[in-house]
Amino acid sequence: MASSSSKQGQGRGGAPQAPPVDPKYNWTSTPRTVVGSRVKRLDGPDKVSGRAKYTFDVARPGMLYGRIIRSPYPHAKVVSIDLSPAQQIKGFKTALIVRDPKDDKTNVLMYQGDEVAAVVADTEEHAIDAARAVKVQYEPLPAVISVDAALAGRAPEVFTGGNVRPGQTQQAGDLDAGFKDAKFTLDQTYQTHVITHVCMESHGTVCEWDGDKLTAWVTTQGVNSARDNFASGLSIPQSNVRVICQYMGGGFGSKLQLGPEGLICAKLAKQAGAPVKLMLDRKEEHLVTGNRPSAAAHIKAGVSADGVLVAYDAESWGTGGAGQGAGGFQLPYIYLAPNKRRTHKDVFINTGTQRPMRAPGHPQASFLTEIMMDELADLAKMDPIQFRLKNLPPEAPNAMWGSYLKEGAEGFGWNKRHPTGDPTPGSIKTGMGVAIGTWGGGGRGPSVAHCEVGSDGSVIMRVGTQDIGTGTRTLVAMVTADALGLQPSQVTPEIGDTQYGVSGGSGGSTTAASTSPGMRIAALKALEALKEKIAPELGASADALVAEGGRIYVKDNKAKGMSWPDACKRIGTQPITADADWQPGMTSVTTSGAQFAEVKVDVKTGIVRVTRVLAIQDCGLVLNQLTAESQVYGGIVGSLNFALFEDRILDRRTGQMVNPNMEWYLLAGMSDIPSIEVRLKNMPERGVVGLGEPPTVPTAAAVALAVRNATGFTVRSLPLTPAKIIQSLQQKA
Amino acid sequence: MPKRTHEPKDKAESGFSRRNFLKTVGAGGVAAGAVLAKAPGVDAQTGAAAVGPGPVPVTLNVNGKTLRLDIEPRTTLLDALRMHLSDPMTGNKRGCDRGACGACTMLVDGRTVYACSTLAIEVQGKKIRNVDGLAENGKLHPVQQAFCDKDALMCGFCTPGFVVASVGLLEKHPNPTPEQIRKGLDGNICRCGTFSRIFEAVSSVKGVQRG
Repeated sequence: MASSSSKQGQGRGGAPQAPPVDPKYNWTSTPRTVVGSRVKRLDGPDKVSGRAKYTFDVARPGMLYGRIIRSPYPHAKVVSIDLSPAQQIKGFKTALIVRDPKDDKTNVLMYQGDEVAAVVADTEEHAIDAARAVKVQYEPLPAVISVDAALAGRAPEVFTGGNVRPGQTQQAGDLDAGFKDAKFTLDQTYQTHVITHVCMESHGTVCEWDGDKLTAWVTTQGVNSARDNFASGLSIPQSNVRVICQYMGGGFGSKLQLGPEGLICAKLAKQAGAPVKLMLDRKEEHLVTGNRPSAAAHIKAGVSADGVLVAYDAESWGTGGAGQGAGGFQLPYIYLAPNKRRTHKDVFINTGTQRPMRAPGHPQASFLTEIMMDELADLAKMDPIQFRLKNLPPEAPNAMWGSYLKEGAEGFGWNKRHPTGDPTPGSIKTGMGVAIGTWGGGGRGPSVAHCEVGSDGSVIMRVGTQDIGTGTRTLVAMVTADALGLQPSQVTPEIGDTQYGVSGGSGGSTTAASTSPGMRIAALKALEALKEKIAPELGASADALVAEGGRIYVKDNKAKGMSWPDACKRIGTQPITADADWQPGMTSVTTSGAQFAEVKVDVKTGIVRVTRVLAIQDCGLVLNQLTAESQVYGGIVGSLNFALFEDRILDRRTGQMVNPNMEWYLLAGMSDIPSIEVRLKNMPERGVVGLGEPPTVPTAAAVALAVRNATGFTVRSLPLTPAKIIQSLQQKA
Repeated sequence: MPKRTHEPKDKAESGFSRRNFLKTVGAGGVAAGAVLAKAPGVDAQTGAAAVGPGPVPVTLNVNGKTLRLDIEPRTTLLDALRMHLSDPMTGNKRGCDRGACGACTMLVDGRTVYACSTLAIEVQGKKIRNVDGLAENGKLHPVQQAFCDKDALMCGFCTPGFVVASVGLLEKHPNPTPEQIRKGLDGNICRCGTFSRIFEAVSSVKGVQRG
């Protein structure tokens, strides 16, 4: 399981090119006094007071504002662009043609929101005026809007090589023999929809040139990758680009790479000879900054008399927009199926393209699989948990689903669950559901940490990573303090700037596992150097010294020692410095999780309310119990939105998104939030794994199954809108 | 999903009444009400003074301080404070720009408003409070402290709006019921999904004075 599941996540755990870590740096080599405790975010006060400066808040002297003119059509040719009316607008500074009408290679726009031109003005209001004034003549072209039409061959041929790209067929075992062994069979189609990331801070940058050197404030999940994107996109050396991101308002995968708006902003700033800020608005966010691709599968499955999934045949498809696939989901997700076949087709439609979104592929795979599992369990007349236990891979440290299902059943009151369909009279029906999830996570290099200890006792830990809201800044201080026997408040974390060195992007739940080994090793190396300085004075060898509770003392004689500040006074004028990279041995891959959901469904209105969720989740070594729990809460809410509310709705005729806002693109509010219990399983012996993505995988399926258990009918597609539930109820009747 | 709705504004408070306009004209064209534009006119139907579209002087009372701005009448309260001050107040954010996400929530005369959907020129003469002014002498407001203590934030972009909405709620209901907390904060959206912890934080706050 370890090898196959490690492929499921984005994080691969890193091919161990570097030598395994010296055991003296391992997580178990010093007492964990800070790691694993509940530490409040160091930047909390800055965030709650509004002092934290996001890219959206950056103001530079003489700064101008940029705005992009975008295609209103899902597919069109740019015939002409007339900038002159914009030049008449008050405050207009400069403009840029992004798609030259004369260039046949680039003058075709492939989706609503595709970039056409851009303007700069003295204020944001004037930039909007100028953008509106630009006259663009389009020649609308036939567009593919519907996945079903594309699959049926009823859509115009838009994409080179066809609107549908067949993938390879994967096969294992003997499918025919499997179906022969099956006592019960099922033949159904399951579907998930397209959603968008809806980062609260929109994508955007502030770009400022000094000669041929660019400084860019970017709301990004990877300062280093953004720097490289600027360099290659502008054909300038990476060394000429500095990217800064101290705070960023959510990315969820959509800010791993620099979007076209970043390069446009840099070009506009160069052209204007002044700093330019270009932040997208909410509509642009929905249209062009990525989405979670849809997924669907027509599944035939067979179960033996004793409840084993003996045959599984899936034909799947999905769309990631214009020229982007959607195949990255495993079927039948975590469950074993000795005899299986899976064929996948990517469908291209004229919409903005997909980007990784929090556990790419997994929420989809989970839904397509788990609904089927409960339908099969009912056919085999088995409890859904017993049926799952029959079909899981063998238990292992990275495959704990069986244990979690049993523990959760006990904790959630699963024995009170009624069979499918709440027999209670009245319109309010109650139900329970359960689903499981996994994710790779893990660490990888390069992620170089630099530790400085000064003669005044100050400690700096510097690493070119970024805090996307998970609490990385606090982890930097915690891991360092833990190694040095200090408190996190005694450490100054320096992150969010390419000047702080090389580290990876914050994606795939890999940040903690990628950064923490280097930080710990660097801190312990610095401590070794400090111990050498004070050892003679303490009359002991450096090896015999222990750093704990703000002191360094002789292991066998606690009274013989000195305080941290006193020890640091011996450092001299040059601070102690130490660097270290990620090394194998302190991290591992693959998480397990199980989630239970309880819902109330009003079968008169179709409204679903999730009342309770229990999440059992592991992530290897828990670094900060407080912020780790927050990740799980957040993952559950994200998946609840996926299950019940959010949906990118396209107009079937025009191909335009009808809800590119936040009032009709629905997201949960406080009244929609269930009571959530989080049980985080700490596994220090596994090292750090990662947690950002795992908890957002199973909730949607658990909720959908709870709805099925409540109502007695199966909705096989998301989202579970009131209309869809009423419709299903009517079909059932 | 329940969303907070704005109660209609009292026209008499808008600062653009016919009476105010006539008074201003009566004073020989001097902008006594501080709302008069370079090209004043009267809308034939409403009788309101037409100002703009160019910049007009606007005076705002924010966090107890008087701020004088020269902004276009279309400028929202949020944008005025974020982009048109020499010392910008960027605490409150713009998430949707349509009064749906609540990141811009400010208090105007003690009531929560979406500052992205409120014109700056309309709230002259009112007491405006935003997240930038909640801490006093470097000491966090009890609501801000509770958000930190309970980890009621992740990326933090929606947090200023939630904090101000929570202050508004607690000044109205110093000991709110769970239902009052839920309804009071339904106008704000957090994409990171911190709701459980925000609920915990707001439930834990004691001693906020009735506003």
